[in-house]
Amino acid sequence: MILRSVELESFGRFRGQTIEFRRGMNLVIGPNEAGKSTLAEAIPAVLFGTDRLERFKPWGRNVCSAALFFEGQGRTVQIKRNLITDEVELLEKNDLYHILSQFSGKVPLRGRSASYRKYRALLESLLGVADEGLFRATYFFGHHPQEWSGEDLAQKLRTLVSGSAEADYAEILDDLLDEHFQLTRINPWGRDKKRDREYENICQQVAPEGGTEAVPTFVEIDNSADLKAEIEKLSGELENDRHEHEKGRLYIKSVRHQMMVDLPGKASLVNEEPSDKESSTVIEKPSIDKKTPINDVALSEQLAAVGLPQNPPRELPELLAEAAQIRQELATFQQPFSALNNREKKIPKVPWTVLLSLCMILVAGTAVSWWQSFYSQWISLGAGVCCTLLLSWGGWQHISRKKALDDCQDKRNRLDHKKLEVQKKQAFLSERCEAFGLPSSAIDLVRLHKLVTANHDLLESWWKQTALSVEDLEVCQNKSVTDDGGASSHNDTSEGGEEPEEKNSSIKVGEDERELHQLESRMAEFETELKQKETCLQNLRLQLKAVPAEKNSKVVTPEATLQYRKHELEKRILVLRKSVNLLAGAVDEFGRLHLSSLNNEASKLLSKITGGRYSAMRLDENMAPSLQVDGQRWVPAESFSKGTVDAIYIALRIALAKVRNDGRSLPLMLDDPFVHLDQKRLSTALNMVDLASTDGQLILFSHNLDLGKRAARERWHVVALDGGAADTAQKEGSDHARQLHLL
Amino acid sequence: MRYLLGSADIKTLSQEDSVRGVLVRMVMEQAENADSEEIESLENALQLLLTRFKVMEDDAS
Repeated sequence: MILRSVELESFGRFRGQTIEFRRGMNLVIGPNEAGKSTLAEAIPAVLFGTDRLERFKPWGRNVCSAALFFEGQGRTVQIKRNLITDEVELLEKNDLYHILSQFSGKVPLRGRSASYRKYRALLESLLGVADEGLFRATYFFGHHPQEWSGEDLAQKLRTLVSGSAEADYAEILDDLLDEHFQLTRINPWGRDKKRDREYENICQQVAPEGGTEAVPTFVEIDNSADLKAEIEKLSGELENDRHEHEKGRLYIKSVRHQMMVDLPGKASLVNEEPSDKESSTVIEKPSIDKKTPINDVALSEQLAAVGLPQNPPRELPELLAEAAQIRQELATFQQPFSALNNREKKIPKVPWTVLLSLCMILVAGTAVSWWQSFYSQWISLGAGVCCTLLLSWGGWQHISRKKALDDCQDKRNRLDHKKLEVQKKQAFLSERCEAFGLPSSAIDLVRLHKLVTANHDLLESWWKQTALSVEDLEVCQNKSVTDDGGASSHNDTSEGGEEPEEKNSSIKVGEDERELHQLESRMAEFETELKQKETCLQNLRLQLKAVPAEKNSKVVTPEATLQYRKHELEKRILVLRKSVNLLAGAVDEFGRLHLSSLNNEASKLLSKITGGRYSAMRLDENMAPSLQVDGQRWVPAESFSKGTVDAIYIALRIALAKVRNDGRSLPLMLDDPFVHLDQKRLSTALNMVDLASTDGQLILFSHNLDLGKRAARERWHVVALDGGAADTAQKEGSDHARQLHLL
Repeated sequence: MRYLLGSADIKTLSQEDSVRGVLVRMVMEQAENADSEEIESLENALQLLLTRFKVMEDDAS
């Protein structure tokens, strides 16, 4: 990608000017103070921002902006920056002027914002460079020759080859090693240090005879935590079991009730066909009950007619009363909640905006009075006191508000807790209602309550009738148990004398009874288990109380503390060693991967520059270059002439730029780097750069008019800057006259 | 533990063409054939190194 033009709307001495460049060699020539360096610096300033705004901001104007236009591979990239606000606009378009990517936002020179990261990522993907340090170390050749070579470049190369222009991994490694050797004298990478460190000292204290394994030991004295956990577990189980027990009890009750209700109907069948056999297995009703079936049926029909359940349980009034009480309790919560809401709304907010505005006004007033004749210290003092009072009042209001809100929240929590308890009661009541076959919704219960109140007499007579039936059932049960032995023989003898339906009903009643007995026996077992668990829980609670309070904590002995510290140190040392090994391995691996390609690229360029005299060069682990002589010997670069050393470093920088940027090359910029060279060496250096830049773009900024002659001779693109201003809107192909002028 | 090595950030870092990326890839490779104790140790080392990188970057910016 080449830099097609730089548009300087307002930058340094430039106003509304556009400087255009071409592929290949570009020479920006002009006397001192013509704006060459300003133009050169505009490029990194637009790309990355600058901390030298004062240098580039035009005097007396509050505008400083410039734009760069890059071109290549069927697309253009335009980057425009306002250097005062650091607002950046980036636009990437293809040949058809379709926008491929776009960015607009504030991107200062340094930052961590999302827009900063997004812009840098976009630069990296488009231009291959997103870091000013990397840009200056590769593409930008400044005035000072020491930037070209020596330890400075070696440091830069080391950092860049390590993978980032921002982190020096050698420094991190040194830090890790320092920390390691502060903890222990043992050196797994070389000879041990002489002086003992903390780890060795602790080892000696822990095991004077030496050789014991360091494991932190804590003396566990109490088991209260285990007890508490067990109690908690058992309590949960008990609660669940009690709940189940209650459900079972209600179920058995309802089954028994259902049996009692069903019994008169069956008895009526017996009564309708009276038998003279006294010892029949069919439950025989006493004479007093001969009218009850009819009464029961009539009552049941009456109950159904008024909308009551056909078999209302005796507990119905009790359940309904409880439901009414729960409803009332729930209703009482509404008022406190709404009162709390109102109270919270009424708590005034602190008018911070007003307070701060007043403070600002006071400060501004004081500042204005500073310039007036009537200013006195009393004004400042008064303003300060007023500000303090206002802010104190605001703080006090804030604390009061927080306190009131906390108070409201406490009350709300308490109410919530109570409400939850009532809701639990309500849930339990619903279960009970469902067990009796009653509706559980609040509306149905209210309706039922009204019906029960209105038909109280009817219900009473029903319950009286049911009570009599229960007594009869018990009598019949006793009788059937006592007659159980002779029943079968009697049945055998009375075969053909009884109807099959009677037999079936009597058998069914017997089966139901047996099932009921089984259920009751299981309930009894369950109750026994419950009692055992309760006893166990009580014992555990007693045990917990018996654990002395002073022993309810871990006791750590001094030896244990040392052991613990030793263990911690071992862990830390292990982590540090692993970190050092990993980082060293990663740096080596990365360096190996990139250094070989860098060496290859630099060798190619060096061969080109030296005309094939030196065709192989390499960087060692310290980033010191060396050249291969006679196809076998490697000689350090310092042993060669200054010209060869310059060639090595030019080759290295250009190679580094190519390697790092993966083919996305930017123009090389040389801001009078040869200012210190004589004519002969200048010519040689230019030849080297020219050779290196044949496949890219090179922009050379120089004040040397002799270069102008060479530019005309070799048909370089020339941008002439005079002392006044740069040329505006230069066009390719229209610069021959200027080049002739230079000749 | 595998809390750190399983995170999305670490997977993103492993794609980087940098020392950090190589480091993360190395740790992930070593963790493949390591027991839980070794993995924990690797994660601790990686966490320490990434923290140091971050500190260096912050200092540089």
